[in-house]
Amino acid sequence: MDWQQLSKEQQTVAKVLRHAIDRKELAHAYLLEGPAGTGKHETAMLVTQTLFCEQPTDLGPCLTCRNCRRIASGNHPDVIWVAPEEGAASIKKEQIAYLMKEFAYRGVESGRKVFIIEQAEKMTAQAENSLLKFIEEPHSGTLALLITEQIHQLLDTIISRCQVLAFVPLSDHAISRRMDEQGLPKPLLKPAVALTHDYEEAVRLCKEEWFAEARSQVLQLLKGLCESLEAAQLYIYEKFAPNFDDNQKMTVGLDLMLYWYRDLLSLHLNRREEIVYEDQMDRLKEQMLSFSSNQAVQAMSLILDARKQLDAHVNGVSVMERLVIRLGGTR
Amino acid sequence: MQELQDSNPNAALAMKCTVQKDKLADAVNRVMKAISSKTTIPILTGVKITSGRDGITLTGSNSDISIQTFIPLEEDGNENAVVHTPGQIVLPSRLFSELVRKLQDEDVHIEVDSRFIAKITSGATEFSLNGLDPEEYPNLPIINGSDAFRIRKDLLKDMIKQTVYAVSVTETRPVLTGVKWMINDGKLSCVATDSHRLAQRSVSVENGEDSGTHTLVIPGSSLNELSKILDDDDEQLVDIIMTTNQILFKSNNVQFYSRLLDGNYPDTSRLIPTESKTTIDLGTKDLYRAIERASLLAKEERNNVVKLRAEGNQVEISSQSLELGRVFETLVPEHFEGDPLRISFSAKFMMDALGKLDAQSVRIHFVGPMRPIIIRPIGDENILMLILPIRTF
Ligand SMILES: [Zn+2]
Repeated sequence: MDWQQLSKEQQTVAKVLRHAIDRKELAHAYLLEGPAGTGKHETAMLVTQTLFCEQPTDLGPCLTCRNCRRIASGNHPDVIWVAPEEGAASIKKEQIAYLMKEFAYRGVESGRKVFIIEQAEKMTAQAENSLLKFIEEPHSGTLALLITEQIHQLLDTIISRCQVLAFVPLSDHAISRRMDEQGLPKPLLKPAVALTHDYEEAVRLCKEEWFAEARSQVLQLLKGLCESLEAAQLYIYEKFAPNFDDNQKMTVGLDLMLYWYRDLLSLHLNRREEIVYEDQMDRLKEQMLSFSSNQAVQAMSLILDARKQLDAHVNGVSVMERLVIRLGGTR
Repeated sequence: MQELQDSNPNAALAMKCTVQKDKLADAVNRVMKAISSKTTIPILTGVKITSGRDGITLTGSNSDISIQTFIPLEEDGNENAVVHTPGQIVLPSRLFSELVRKLQDEDVHIEVDSRFIAKITSGATEFSLNGLDPEEYPNLPIINGSDAFRIRKDLLKDMIKQTVYAVSVTETRPVLTGVKWMINDGKLSCVATDSHRLAQRSVSVENGEDSGTHTLVIPGSSLNELSKILDDDDEQLVDIIMTTNQILFKSNNVQFYSRLLDGNYPDTSRLIPTESKTTIDLGTKDLYRAIERASLLAKEERNNVVKLRAEGNQVEISSQSLELGRVFETLVPEHFEGDPLRISFSAKFMMDALGKLDAQSVRIHFVGPMRPIIIRPIGDENILMLILPIRTF
């Protein structure tokens, strides 16, 4: 993450922080607040590395100097990260004691110290009160970055002493880009994001074997449908039904089908950036030749009807059967 | 000492040296005192080894304190070490210290490649250890030698002993968990207080005139650690260097660094009364023992309070426990001056203060039952202990 990317994803946050850093007017405490996957941790890292970097540029820290590297590896003695241990209900007492000690001590190497508290809502009220004292009487050169997804679980007194930076949910586009950086399988990214509009959920889906299987089965079904109705029906009985064995899964299946027709429509309208099945571009283009935008719209409305039936608890397999027959009619 | 073959053609040699096992084991042992397995900074689980032109330096740190030991290539005509290729490495400290102790041969060869793999050979034994990138290790302050002042080791130990006991142990005012050191005009003054008691001592130092005026606050825990690692070679001088972030104590081939506390230390001079309404001289040990006996009953009570009554050239120490009974003891002061007085105080605080004084007799100044008590050893104006009385009625 550099400042340019942060500006794209979190314009207000980037503006406030960059401005404060450039003018050397950082507040003593910031509260980075917002949903998971919106870049709070990365922003804390970016700010810290920018402050300590030996050769920062306008874009951000160099990431190669000793300070940048040590901040990333957790070895910089003047950068104090505190996060609850995995699965722990709260930040431990010893962790808070360590934090308090570090607040009281001067830096090891420099006059600057950065404190980063992740999942700050997991501090006990007692810990929050001790922290409050330090936020109220900060030593010069100290910066505290509190990170939370649950701002309402923090004491009002803490919130009021911090400058609150609200992270907004990312656009689908930004979520996919970020997932791409994580090295998740490309063909799954966009369908997962289209389904969830949420970074964490999308990442979870991408890591599920079932989802990869579901996607390829839907594509297989659609391919069968292009060839013959019978082939498609057979495919439903043999492969599709056993895998989409409850209505929730069937809903995902329907949505994945919907994206196919929406992609055809996007192609007709020349909105390439909205295409979900990017890796299937050749097939989409081929089908587009024989499939008008009206037909695409019609197919989409059939799928939406099928979704309504599913919501009304009609059996998933029969919904799909009926849908495939009707879709066969739009060919 | 024998030469070793470079055995790894794929990775460049990053460091190579040979050290006498005993010297190395000693040095590792010493720096291990600063290393904690509970550190939150991963690199600090390691010991850093630097081979330089003059010798080999080992560093251990828990970030609060850091200890460095230096093994010179030559000492008193004996060869301690040979540096073939200068360089540095961080090795897992616990494993390294254990293996060094258990090696059999007199010499230890250390050879490090650019992937931080260290080959440690001694006699027929060869260890291959995965090291860590020394660039990840914290910087210790760069020391400008001219700022140093010097003090005798035994005096330094006394100064620590006579002040550090009075630091605060609660975190409510963190700066009070440290001892304030001020160097001014060739004189070093140290003061500690937990706001119920205070201890201060000043001493003339060598070279201090040039070091200007510096004030800093050293964590009490660091000073306790320092005391532990100062050996008994009492007449030796310790170099002390103050920097913005850390203070360095240097004696022989050992360097001890401590971080400093941040924040403003309160002005303690206002706490110390300048007048005295009652002044009593007593034998230090006599008073200590009388209070110790009185506290046998007093410590059964919640706050371990003893009473002192001074009247008609007599001092009476007493205490009582509602359940157990009372104790009285009379002392005859060596000198008595001023008004009669009744006062109560913590037996523990008084014993803590008296126990740190070597003088035969102490002079105690009282201003009133609710004003601070001042204890000074007779014959040394540079030491002052203060305790606040306790209201018991
Ligand atoms: Zn950098």
